[in-house]
Amino acid sequence: MAFLTILLDGIAYGMVLFIISVGLTVTMGLMRVVNLAHGAFAMVGGYTASVLMAKGLPFAAATALAVVGVAVLGALVELTIYRPLYRKGELPQSLMTFGFTFVAIATLTSLFGSGMQRLPIPPALDGLVDLGFRAYPAYRLFLIAVGLALMALLWLAVDGTLIGARLRAAVDHPRMSQAVGVNVNLLFTLTFASGCALAAFGAVIGAQLLPLDPYYALRYLVLFLVVVGVGGLGNFKGSFAAALVLGVIETAGKYLIPGLAPYVFYGLVLALLLWKPAGLMPARSAA
Amino acid sequence: MAAAWVRATVGVLAGVMATTAASADTVKVGVIGTFSGPFARWGQQFQQAIEVYQKQHGKSVNGNDIEVIYRDEGGPDPVRSKQITQQLITRDRVNILAGYTFTPNVVAVSDLVNEAKIPLVMLNTPTAAIIRKFSYAVRVSHTLPEVAEPIAAWGLEQGIRRVVTAVSDYTPGYDSETAFIQKFKEGGGEIIESIHIPLATTDFSPFFERILQLKPDALYIFGPGGPPTVGMVNTWSARLKPAGIRLLCTSETMEIDLPQIGKGALGVVSSFHYTETVDNPLNVALRKDLVAMFGPNTVPDLASVQAYDGMELIYRAVAKFGPKVTADEAVSLWKGLAFDSPRGPMQIDPKDGNMIQNVYLRRVEEHDGKLVNINIATFPMVRDPWAIKNPQ
Repeated sequence: MAFLTILLDGIAYGMVLFIISVGLTVTMGLMRVVNLAHGAFAMVGGYTASVLMAKGLPFAAATALAVVGVAVLGALVELTIYRPLYRKGELPQSLMTFGFTFVAIATLTSLFGSGMQRLPIPPALDGLVDLGFRAYPAYRLFLIAVGLALMALLWLAVDGTLIGARLRAAVDHPRMSQAVGVNVNLLFTLTFASGCALAAFGAVIGAQLLPLDPYYALRYLVLFLVVVGVGGLGNFKGSFAAALVLGVIETAGKYLIPGLAPYVFYGLVLALLLWKPAGLMPARSAA
Repeated sequence: MAAAWVRATVGVLAGVMATTAASADTVKVGVIGTFSGPFARWGQQFQQAIEVYQKQHGKSVNGNDIEVIYRDEGGPDPVRSKQITQQLITRDRVNILAGYTFTPNVVAVSDLVNEAKIPLVMLNTPTAAIIRKFSYAVRVSHTLPEVAEPIAAWGLEQGIRRVVTAVSDYTPGYDSETAFIQKFKEGGGEIIESIHIPLATTDFSPFFERILQLKPDALYIFGPGGPPTVGMVNTWSARLKPAGIRLLCTSETMEIDLPQIGKGALGVVSSFHYTETVDNPLNVALRKDLVAMFGPNTVPDLASVQAYDGMELIYRAVAKFGPKVTADEAVSLWKGLAFDSPRGPMQIDPKDGNMIQNVYLRRVEEHDGKLVNINIATFPMVRDPWAIKNPQ
């Protein structure tokens, strides 16, 4: 029975990795902009939700408002900071977005202090659910459900809709897409805003495992990048697979041999990237 | 006649003014703390407590201004620590040094401070052995064995025999673990397994699932504060508490962290040298002034009382020896000095400059809708156990 618990724990952890990183798969993977500020947008979303909940709003409403708020912020930042960067190459993009992260950290520190931010989960998710073989935290089952739903939604949106097709076209051939009537600028702004919205959503939903403090944006950056990199740039199905593989194997490794815990995760990343340098499922159009 | 009188008066007045000017000096105190980065809470707590102390006692002693110069150690960074300490000594010409959060940072400056003969008050750095590297230093914080041994003794008293230890994978974690294990085994207890949890861990469940399978009576944990500590306590309360496995710890249930941990911490007993709710007049005043000066949510923690007591020692040294107090004078006053602290009675060990203080057993309870620690027992005037076991 311990085996089943570990498997569930691994899947739940993988889902958290997926939920917090999928926004980066959109901005960095699909749009190919080195977006090291992903964690900053996520963190701003988490703080917004936390402030709204402290004012008495219920969890769902606070989450929704935070996600919308960060989407608007993302759109504004895309128009002012990111747009001029698209053609500038990777180094200017990394420097600018990394700088943006530091600004976000300093701003939140001066507004809220350097301590952790309270983001309680709703009482309904706080308890245990009897699964037959053991009582399991409801919150983790909720994470698994949210991760699966998000995956299905993105699959439909990017692979199954006209907007998704236009986006893929616009990333690969911006000029040609413009020529056939796609409003590339608007499309990029909207996509970037969605990536930021996903980041905010992930920060709120995942806050029990990745607690919010001003250093959130840097502390978990490697985690986000690993999921996107191991999955294959621009393919959220790849991110999903990578998050699950990493989550389950790391969890099992920590459980079986805790002494090796510091090495399991990065050892695994190393092995996976040696095996598939372009990631588990590189986007077909990435050539 | 009148002119002579005026001349005489002027002469006397001038003399008086001259002496006042000579004695009214500025004493520069260099305070090294973490004011930026993930550990910025330490520096903030240092500074707020120091400002409260200066508000309560004035910014001068016998007409000598006490000027506090803050410098940022940034995090565990020995090179930077050495650099800012050097600047404080040579450029700012500080008379007294206080501070340091991280052990490696203070170890890095021992030669520098010894050579410059500047008196130093360590405001944290709880690794037991390091005080011996300094010729002119005292410590007003705690050592890890000092606070870990009482909870081991209490656990044995409660009939706890089989324990798993799980500590964050860094030096203070090992120190705390070693002290706990030694004391617990001396009393006949058994350690089933010792786990080192990486600092970067976000999901603690696999470790705690393993502990669940080992079926100990209790789990001993030690974390660095902030997210890892909150993660450990929460995973314990979600997975091990329902199975009847108890939690033993020291700094993991500080009042400042309890809102993030939540009600899962209710009933946890820990041992620590400062309980935030003790009602001695100094602590009541400290809490009141912190709230008045820095807002309703300000809560003191170990950093606050340690910095507050550091200022007490510095003010006393200046009061006795004046602004030009030397390292020898200061340390001779400090060693053996007994004084009242917000945490309770305190004495500086005349032998090695460590603190001798009460260690409290406290239980997390809910009062007026807030989670707080309430004292349930006191181990009076505990000396650093490491120093007792390793005489100089």
